[in-house]
Amino acid sequence: MADVINIQMPLWQLLLLLLIPLAAITIMVVWLRRVAYKHSAPEEKRDWSVPPLADGSGTSLLHCWDVRCKIVTILVCSFAIASLSHLEPALVAIGVSLIILVVARVSFAKVLLRLLAITGFVCMFLVVMPFSVPAHNGDTVLVFNGMDWLGFNLRGLRLAATIAAKAIAIAVLMEPLLSTAPLPVTLHGLSRLGAPEMVGQMVLLSYRYLHVFRHEAWRMSSGMQVRGFRKRTDLATLRAVGNFIGMLFVRSFERTERVFDAMRARGYRGRFPEPAELRLRTRDLLLAAVWLTAGAALIAYDRIAW
Amino acid sequence: MHISDGVLPISVTVGCYVASAALVAWSARRTRNEELPKLAVMTAAFFVASLVHVPFGPTSVHLIIPGLTGALLGPSAFLSIGLGLLLQSLLFQFGGLTALGANALMMGLPALACGWFFQRYKGRTQLRQAFVGGLAGAAGTALAAIILAILLVAGGEDFFGVAKIALLAHIPVIIVEGVVSAFTIGFLTRVKPALLQTSFLRQTKAAHG
Amino acid sequence: MHEPLRPIQKPTLDASLFSMRRVFYRYPDDIQALSCIDLDIAGGDRIALVGQNGSGKTTLIKQLCGLLLPTAGEVLYKGEQLKGEHLDRNRLEIGLLFQDPDDQLFSHTLLDDTAFGPRHQGLSRQDAEQTARKSLQRVNLLDMAYKAPHNLSFGQKKRAALAGLLAMQPNVLLLDEPTSNLDPHQEEVFLNLLRDFSGTLICISHNLIFLYELCDRAVVLDRGRIQHDYTLRELVSQRQSLREHGLDFSFRLVHTASSCDLAQSKPLDELHRTPTLPDVSEGKSLVFLRDYHYRYPDGTLALHGINLSIQDGERISIVGENGAGKTTLLSCLLGLRQGLGEFHFAGRLMTRRWRKTLWRRVGMVFQDCADQLFCPSVREEITFGLHQLGYSRDESRKRLTQVLAMVCLEGFEERVPLHLSGGERKRLALACVLAMEPKLLILDEPTAGLDPQGEELLLDILCNLDVTLLLVSHDMFFVNKLTRRTLVMHRGRILEDMPTHAFLQDERLGNLNELSYTYRRRSRSAILTMQHEHEHSHLHQHLHTHQHRHGEVEHDHFHEHVHEHTHRFAHIHPEDEKNHDHMPRRYHDHDHPGYEVEDHDHDYPGHENETDDHH
Repeated sequence: MADVINIQMPLWQLLLLLLIPLAAITIMVVWLRRVAYKHSAPEEKRDWSVPPLADGSGTSLLHCWDVRCKIVTILVCSFAIASLSHLEPALVAIGVSLIILVVARVSFAKVLLRLLAITGFVCMFLVVMPFSVPAHNGDTVLVFNGMDWLGFNLRGLRLAATIAAKAIAIAVLMEPLLSTAPLPVTLHGLSRLGAPEMVGQMVLLSYRYLHVFRHEAWRMSSGMQVRGFRKRTDLATLRAVGNFIGMLFVRSFERTERVFDAMRARGYRGRFPEPAELRLRTRDLLLAAVWLTAGAALIAYDRIAW
Repeated sequence: MHISDGVLPISVTVGCYVASAALVAWSARRTRNEELPKLAVMTAAFFVASLVHVPFGPTSVHLIIPGLTGALLGPSAFLSIGLGLLLQSLLFQFGGLTALGANALMMGLPALACGWFFQRYKGRTQLRQAFVGGLAGAAGTALAAIILAILLVAGGEDFFGVAKIALLAHIPVIIVEGVVSAFTIGFLTRVKPALLQTSFLRQTKAAHG
Repeated sequence: MHEPLRPIQKPTLDASLFSMRRVFYRYPDDIQALSCIDLDIAGGDRIALVGQNGSGKTTLIKQLCGLLLPTAGEVLYKGEQLKGEHLDRNRLEIGLLFQDPDDQLFSHTLLDDTAFGPRHQGLSRQDAEQTARKSLQRVNLLDMAYKAPHNLSFGQKKRAALAGLLAMQPNVLLLDEPTSNLDPHQEEVFLNLLRDFSGTLICISHNLIFLYELCDRAVVLDRGRIQHDYTLRELVSQRQSLREHGLDFSFRLVHTASSCDLAQSKPLDELHRTPTLPDVSEGKSLVFLRDYHYRYPDGTLALHGINLSIQDGERISIVGENGAGKTTLLSCLLGLRQGLGEFHFAGRLMTRRWRKTLWRRVGMVFQDCADQLFCPSVREEITFGLHQLGYSRDESRKRLTQVLAMVCLEGFEERVPLHLSGGERKRLALACVLAMEPKLLILDEPTAGLDPQGEELLLDILCNLDVTLLLVSHDMFFVNKLTRRTLVMHRGRILEDMPTHAFLQDERLGNLNELSYTYRRRSRSAILTMQHEHEHSHLHQHLHTHQHRHGEVEHDHFHEHVHEHTHRFAHIHPEDEKNHDHMPRRYHDHDHPGYEVEDHDHDYPGHENETDDHH
């Protein structure tokens, strides 16, 4: 085992090493966000008398895959990816996810949004870990201007990059899972796999009222703005926000009661009606098998090759 | 702050899943079966509340509100938080399914602890309720940050630095969260005290017969 | 004093669908909502349930569909008590339409939602879907079947909620404020849908004109008790009793109806005026918009080339169908949204920076005051805005008392806004805005959800204000009373800009704008005819008590005798007949001043307790 390898570097190279990637990432994020939002704007003109996904876009392999197989496979694959511990397999995993993405023909903009959501957390790792990882034997540490306490550990960078790669691979996988079937069908598949039926219904209900409450919250905040409220760092702002949240809860609670009444008035007695029944075909299982093999191969690659 | 996929070692990820599944089951048992839809609708409200951003100096922090959730929902809070996180990972492009267990533990355990704390010590006067509510709110976020740090540290000593930074980053959130919770609880004691009875889902049911 | 004169013929038990026997209901927080309700409802009845805000109407309806069980007494449906298994079985025949359609549309798509009821009635998936499609067809929403409810407009949501009930083929429909927030066109669509419904119908509404078209029996609730139970025609024709229950909406009828009459006499072309480009003297006008556009983030064009100039002190109304862009225009004026084009306020071009200061000079009362009231006390609510304006504590206190007096809420400082009644909340929201002394006051549907008494009070307050006023409303009465100029909006454009009186006379505009005011006018004149009253004189009998002598005995007791003097009462004028019928119809109450001294015969033998036909 070799000792820690110290490489001395002038300070300005630190700036190069840190600032340029950071700036690049920031610019990318801003640009991608714009692209993503532009493409994810709802198209109002579509025909709502047919089920979504029945209009030709849903012909890919994943769209007609049995939803239970899809969930199991993608979940298992996600866990497989999460268990990788080296950078190279993780990069391969990204490649696999991207291939699936292309096969599934899902909206690229939505994938971008998913990726953007994790940038903050991942960037924190990329920035913090190279400096904070303790130096072990065999590590390469870049030291700038002789400041030993600020060693840039390449092993840390590698670790962070592995984490980032895994996060991206899994995030990319989520989109083919979710947008190749309407949400209720996916949730039903989940329930047929053993999760209580109620879980799916609760997700749907929350999703439905999320929109209502967001709209309500928006109207309330414009009501506050009209009366001159601007958020500042002071106690008055916190008081107003506290009241705002309290009011939001009171209104939601009242609505909760009414919604529950409405459900009971239409015959709800603790059970939701069953949605579509599912059929399992050999083809579905075959696809699952192929996929799971790929996942297993990834793990094998991760464990054996290193 | 949520943990994203691929950060935690696989053993911790699976362990968290098992632990939070058990807690969800317990939480669901403490909620009446018929009332689960109500909980779902309330979850949406908590979700919206957690989207509120509050400026803090030059940056802004967004609320996490595990403390408030616990104070209002009691034992059902864990279920509600799990549901909210599932929703977030399914529809709002944040957090993959593998980190769900860890995130649920990180937010749900403080909610349960703070809910219990609030109900135990809230007393009767409005002022005291607001004060205890504020403490619960602050403690909720602090606990969440500590659990986050512990989970990160479980990945080995390489993660110590990240854990420390994560803890530090939560300090402003803890302050803001505590003050806002105090005001929210103060508001509710005056306007709708019924909401602060943990078992409120049950009480109103009784009224309906 | 007035009695429910003609007790409705009590139907025999098997004929009545619902019967409530001495029903009491008390909420868990100790509010007595219903007391001693006795009510029989026959199959096929169309009942209007009216009463002031907070009189227990919604509670009563919830009793009828088993959502609340009475604290005492019993509710029978088809002869059996509505609870337990009987309730579970029959609940599916009773449809309840909530005031806010969002409460009712809880599924992911419209089709799922509409099929929810039928599925619970035991239909298979395919059958339920078939039924759901049929009923969506009925409300004309089939092309939206797979849309999520949150992407629908308000009127569509309301119809979708009705479709969900119709799919269950209910025997009974209970409707809670079906017309609130709907524009007149949607209201008429809704009315026609409900007319086609053949079962029993119980409808809560403050919109008596709508009720007049739909229902034939009226039940008046007052503080949890049934005050009257008679035909709807009787209800609307008795101004006196309407007034006592705070329901007198006739103050709305008088003026507009007369302008309706005018409409026929004037040539329409004269009134028609296309909107002209406002003169460029923007220095003088308070608000000046030129070629203003607004596009939503998703690309829909909400405002389309708006040209508008508002002078200081003007009172303007904006009318238009739901979704015409009225609310968007308001939020642009408030500085909440930034559109493209010129916007000057008080002579200054509103750039991005200046837009942020508009709140100091523009105030708005929102349609739903819950969006505006978020403080735990009235005092904090009002001083919230003053604090933002930088008022000192003393000044705020002074201002607080002033505005509370302006809106008739004196002494409400420590009350909780959420616990106030609908009308009080509306006035509080108004006070919050007035406290900031805006130059431009915007009102968005101020009458939504108010009972007629609340409306009248609000109208009084608004009439006495001295500000530039911009009113958005479907309520032609308010438009007429409060404004002198009307802008007609349609699909993001201002179609017409004309004097209010001319707008009200222009029949053509209704159709142009997809707003149908015609049916309201028709009912209005019908009701006016019924409410017609004037003085006349005829012989009638009175019940009096005063000292008098019977030969030797001097005493006092109630006794009846006949007088002739003039008095007022409401009666019908049959078509154009000048000398109309004043035949005795019913008991009515009127003053009889000076009866003590009036000379009459006390030896009349049959004076004790006889009750003849009263005039």
